Order: sequence, then C-alpha cells, then structure tokens
Amino acid sequence: MADADEDAVRGTTVEATQIEVDLSDETQDFRLLNHLNFLTDTSSSSLPRRGEKDFEPNPTEFQADVLSASRQAMHNALAHPRLHNPKTQVIAIYAPEGPPPAPAVTPGQDTAKTPSRGASVSPDACVYVPSPKGQYFKSMGQADRKGVIWLLPEEALYLLERGSLDIRWPTSITGGTTVEEGSEEEEEKLSIPMSLQAAYTCLIGRGGLTLERFTVFSSLKRIGYAISRAPGWDESTEVDDSVDEHSRHAYTQPLKRGAGLAGILGSIFNWINDPKSTSSTAAGPVIGYGIHRNYADIYKKLALIPWYDPTLTPTRNSLNTSSPFRVIFYVYKPSTPIKKSALPPPDFRIAVINTREQTTAPTLPELSALLESTPLDPPHGEKMARQMYMRLRHGYRNVILAVVDQGVTSFLRVADVAFGKERLYEGANVPTGPKKGGNFRKKKR
Amino acid sequence: MESTPTLPIPISYVSGRYLLFSIDAVTYLRREHNICGVLIGTLPQIPQQNVFLGLPLELMPEEARVLVDKDVACIVDEARAHDGMRSRLEEDRRQYLRDLESQGQLATRMLADRKDQQREQSLKEIDEKKAKGLAAKAAKAANAAKAAADAQNAASSTSAATEKGEPKSVFAGEDESSSLSRTTGTSTPAPHQAMGVTPTTSYPLLPHPVSSSAQYLPKPEVPLSYPLFAHLHSRGYFLSPGLRFGCQYVAYPGDPLRFHSHFVVVSAEWDQEMDLMDIVNGGRLGTGVKKGFLLGGPQKRRDEVESEADRIETVRTFSIEWAGM
Repeated sequence: MADADEDAVRGTTVEATQIEVDLSDETQDFRLLNHLNFLTDTSSSSLPRRGEKDFEPNPTEFQADVLSASRQAMHNALAHPRLHNPKTQVIAIYAPEGPPPAPAVTPGQDTAKTPSRGASVSPDACVYVPSPKGQYFKSMGQADRKGVIWLLPEEALYLLERGSLDIRWPTSITGGTTVEEGSEEEEEKLSIPMSLQAAYTCLIGRGGLTLERFTVFSSLKRIGYAISRAPGWDESTEVDDSVDEHSRHAYTQPLKRGAGLAGILGSIFNWINDPKSTSSTAAGPVIGYGIHRNYADIYKKLALIPWYDPTLTPTRNSLNTSSPFRVIFYVYKPSTPIKKSALPPPDFRIAVINTREQTTAPTLPELSALLESTPLDPPHGEKMARQMYMRLRHGYRNVILAVVDQGVTSFLRVADVAFGKERLYEGANVPTGPKKGGNFRKKKR
Repeated sequence: MESTPTLPIPISYVSGRYLLFSIDAVTYLRREHNICGVLIGTLPQIPQQNVFLGLPLELMPEEARVLVDKDVACIVDEARAHDGMRSRLEEDRRQYLRDLESQGQLATRMLADRKDQQREQSLKEIDEKKAKGLAAKAAKAANAAKAAADAQNAASSTSAATEKGEPKSVFAGEDESSSLSRTTGTSTPAPHQAMGVTPTTSYPLLPHPVSSSAQYLPKPEVPLSYPLFAHLHSRGYFLSPGLRFGCQYVAYPGDPLRFHSHFVVVSAEWDQEMDLMDIVNGGRLGTGVKKGFLLGGPQKRRDEVESEADRIETVRTFSIEWAGM
C-alpha cells in the first residue's frame, strides 16, 4: 500500500512551469550539482533548475532516500579538494608583518627583498606572490618595484578559496628548515601550505576585514565584478567638515526659477500674464485672480510645498560618515576597463552592514550623510530622458547597502529621488495649451 | 558519510564569528542535530556563481550555543590554536608534507584515469563521425569536404568548450592539454607531477583542539531571541537566518534541502509592547508566501531567571494567518 503511494509521488516529479526565481534565495538541492558534471561536459554549465521540494516530512522510504541522496551530493560537492596543477600553480607567501615599510629593515623571511621598495603597496597587504602569473592579478594586488605582487587579505583569501592560489606559511612562523639558506626553490618546496581554515584565521580580522565584508567581497567577485577598497574602509579615519548647515538649502522654495535667459523670459511672461501674483493667497484663491492662459501656469502656482532638490546638496567628504553607513567598496562592472594604477570612477559604491551589530534601519541623517558622500549621478541617456519612472528609480545619488544577516547577504540600492524635478504638467501626455472642451480625450487611433 | 566525528566538535571562533571547516562535522550536525548554518565559501569546482556555495559554514551564535549546551560542540579560538604553528617539530612538518604530496599524487592519478576514459569516449565519437563522413562521401562526393570539416570540428569541440569563458576549474587547463595532445597524436601521457593540495582544515598538522578542554572559549553570547530559537530547534525545526524574508528566522519542518519552510519567525519579550502594524505586516507577509507568521518568546525576562535555559522552558508561540472568510 505504501509502495503505491510512493509510486504516485514518484510519478509527479516535474512541474510544468517554473517561474523565474532568485536561485540563491533558497537552499539548493546539491544533487543538481551532480548533473552539472562540469569536469567532462562544459556545455551544460548553465545553472540548473531548482529541485522540487516537499511540504513536510512523511515516513516514506522514498522521501528518506531522496533526502539522503541530496545530503550525499552536498557532502561530495563540499568535499571537493582544492588542487593545483603544477604547471599553473601560483604560490604565495603569508607575511604577517605586512609589506616591508619603506625605510625599515625587512622582516625575517624576505631577506632577499631590498628595503624601500614597497612604497606603493597598501600596508594592509599581507600575502605576496613572488612570481605572479595568470589572469587574476589584472584586477587584484599591487606590485612593488621588484615585481612582487602584494595581495590584500580579502584578495588572497578569495583566491585561495576558489583554488587558484597556494598560500604558504612563512618560515618565520613554522621555523627554518635544515636546508641551507639561500636555495629558495628548496625552501618553497618545504614550506607548509596554508589550509582554508588557517587562511580564514589569519586573514579575517586583519586591517578591518570583517567576515561580513569578506562575504560581500567574494560574492561579488565570484560573479565577475572588480572591487577595490574605498577610502572609507578604515573606520577610524573620520573627518569632520561640518556641512550640515548647508544641507538645509537643498529644499527648494516653490516658484523659484532657474537662472539663464529662459528663466528670465519666463518670469517676465509670468509677470505680464499675471500682474497680481500669488502674493494674495491669504485673501484670495491660491492661484490668484487674473486670466489664466494655460494649465502650466496654474499648476506652477499650485506648487506650494517646498521640495527636496538633491542637485543642490553639497557633496560630503566620504570620510565624514559614520560606520557602518559609509562606502567601503568601489565596485566595477566586468565590462569596465580596469587599470590598477589609475582606477576609473566606480560603477557602484557599497556599504556593508552586519545585522547583528546594526539592528535598526538607518536614520534619515545617517542615510543622507551616506548619500551625500557619493557623487552626483543624475539620470542621463536617451532611455532615461524618455521614461519618467526610470528617472525616478535612478535618482540623483545612489549607494548600495549590502545587508549581511549571518552569512545571508541582501543588496539594497538606495537612491536620492527628486519628485519635485518631475513636472508632470509639462509632460508630453498632458494638455498644455489653453483649455479645450474639458476632460474630453481624443480617441486613440 | 554516516560517520560520527569525534565529539565535541570544535567550532572555530574567528574574529567574532562561528565557523565550521570540517565537512564531516557539517554533514553530521545537519543529519543528527538539525543544524544547517549558512555556507559562505566558494566551491572550487564551480567558482563563478553564487547559487551553490561551499565551506566554511557560518553558524549563528544561537546555533553554536545550542550545540555547546548539548555538549556536542565546543568553541575554539582559532587564532590561538594556530599559534601552535610555531611549535611544530620539523619531523611533523615533513610527515605532513609527505601526506599532502601523496594526496596530490592520488588526485593526479584519478584525474589521469578520468581523462583516459574521456579520451577513449571522444575518440569513439570521432570514429563514428568519420564513418558517417565516409558514408556521405560514398553517397555524394561533393559533400565530402564539408563532412571532413565536421569531423574536424567535433575533434576540437572539447577544447573549444573548455576554453569558453574563463577556465571553470583547476582542471580546465588539464583538459585542454589533453585534447591538444590527442590532436597531435601523442597518446602516452607524460609522467605526472603531483598536484598541489590546499587542505581545508589545519588538522592533523595542529593538535586537535578538543584534546585540551582548558582552551574552550565560553559559551557564545546570544540575542534575546535565543529562547524561541532553542524552543523551535528542540521541536525538530531547522532554522535559518531570516532577515531577507522579512523575519528573524525561517523555520523548516525538515532539512531545507528537501522541504519548504512553514513559518516566518519573530521573537518578542513577554511584556514587550508591539506595534499592531508589525503583527499585521507579519501576518500579511507570511500569508502572502504561504507560510505562517510565528510570534513567540519566553514568559520570563533575563533578570528573572538563573540562566537562559530556564527561559527556554517558558516559551510560548503564536501563529498568525490571514483567514479566508
């Protein structure tokens, strides 16, 4: 009897329609990985459909089998080793003391390195690659003048984790070998590879790298973005140039016209049309007496409420924001050409928030300080000019909040929207001319 | 897979977070103790996606606490444990390196075997295509050149596929060279060098930290929602962090690998004033995604009891659903 039930369950395996869902939202069935057979057949490397799930546990053998198969598949996938082909192996060495400071004597293990050569290397870098090869160093690492590439902790950990870098313990920690000094090759052979565990232990927590920051870094890196640290990375550097009193001016008073000839002409015409201007609102109708020749005029006079104009806010020093609401990563799309020595303006700016430390939503001052620290990025382009809602969504300044909840990351885009700048009455679809026949609308042809 | 690792399982305390690096521990805790955690690492075999992730596994402090309270796990300060690297004897190091090398050689051999199989199969395919091409030649001489070109394409298709985009894994380079050697006709592979191996955990190089219980760190600090977490966990629910779904925890009736979640869970203190809107929002949210909105908490405050464990016993839960009337 139970068998009959199970057969019925077996029969209905595949649902007909699959709505588009964010696959990373849910726990994935690792059995799908087995179908991916990436070693033999790369043509099926597209991501699999998600597995079918049951509503609740039942005591059937079938369900137990499927679950155990899923778990086995997960076990196998996670147990996959990180191997390095000797031909392509890139070896790096962990340097707990960081790059040698310019004038000082170099720490123990890199006796071969001449001092005063790590000038361009970030002091937070702590892993160096003596003979860099491969594609990864195009967007990561900083070379000192000797051609040795120094990696920041997040870069080194990411590369190790994806199996592209073999980091070794320095002999200063593990102790020297009996092999005579100088034969570097021999030393490399006898140095101990760092485990994933050791790499996390040594690299997380170094130079402000929290696990949350690393999670965000690696999840973006995996899907192809290039990332660099923003000036706000270091929480202790705070600059206080008080711009707060300026931000009040961002509220535009109604009826203010822009400068320029058009503005002046406009105000003259307004004055001609309507000599008794709205100054008499207390006594009379809001739009004043007089002849109203078009709707635009009337609407303009109805715009009584002050509105926020993001273009008028002063740009704030990015260091004048308080953690965690400050930009710590600059992110570049894969299509953006990157030159490590002269980074272009980033495509995205990211602030990382740990939900266990920051349990409340940002306050308005925090959020506006964060937005003010990003440069003005008004909507542009043909598509934006055409579509108002695209413009509204894009906003005038924007920043991305990466909210990390115990390893689960959500990305939120926050933009400074200027509704006041969208004059609906000036749009193409609204009657602008003199009033003609009430609400009558032309039939669409 | 059904093995039980040595208890208690060491949970790595790294820079304020709780991590697991041992695959056996991860599988065991999932199977026997309903602890899932969140995988946060890159899978080396498919590193360019975010859907399937690998080790390490991040545990919520609540999860770590539940395990420590059950004496299944202990918290180990990894930074201190890795100081042990300084005191390894040279003999240990050499032994460890030898172990790694033999692992690497094993991996090389397995890959070579797999490659041989692949090569045989693709050679077979090419032969079939060639046979087809010959048949076509016999039938229609004019098409012969095109058929040969097809066969040529088939021969190079494997390498073309591996070259598509970036190499997907460390083996990609290997595959390429294999297809190259096939096309050039040298069928005997050169004696392989051992693969380099990056181990996942630092043991057995370091002494297993469980051996010295003096090194255990104190129990993890937990948020006020811990009693509700522990209560649901003790009832067999699997719990995941839930902020992305608009709640504190998502509760699954079984392993999330297999089952959809049933509840979006929010914890509250017993005498905590709540905004009615929050309850309405939670109810709407839960009903909208076919789950129940579960609201619960202990009836005692922290200052009224000796330990968190006493609070767990007093937990009451309520589920709120939009009724279809």
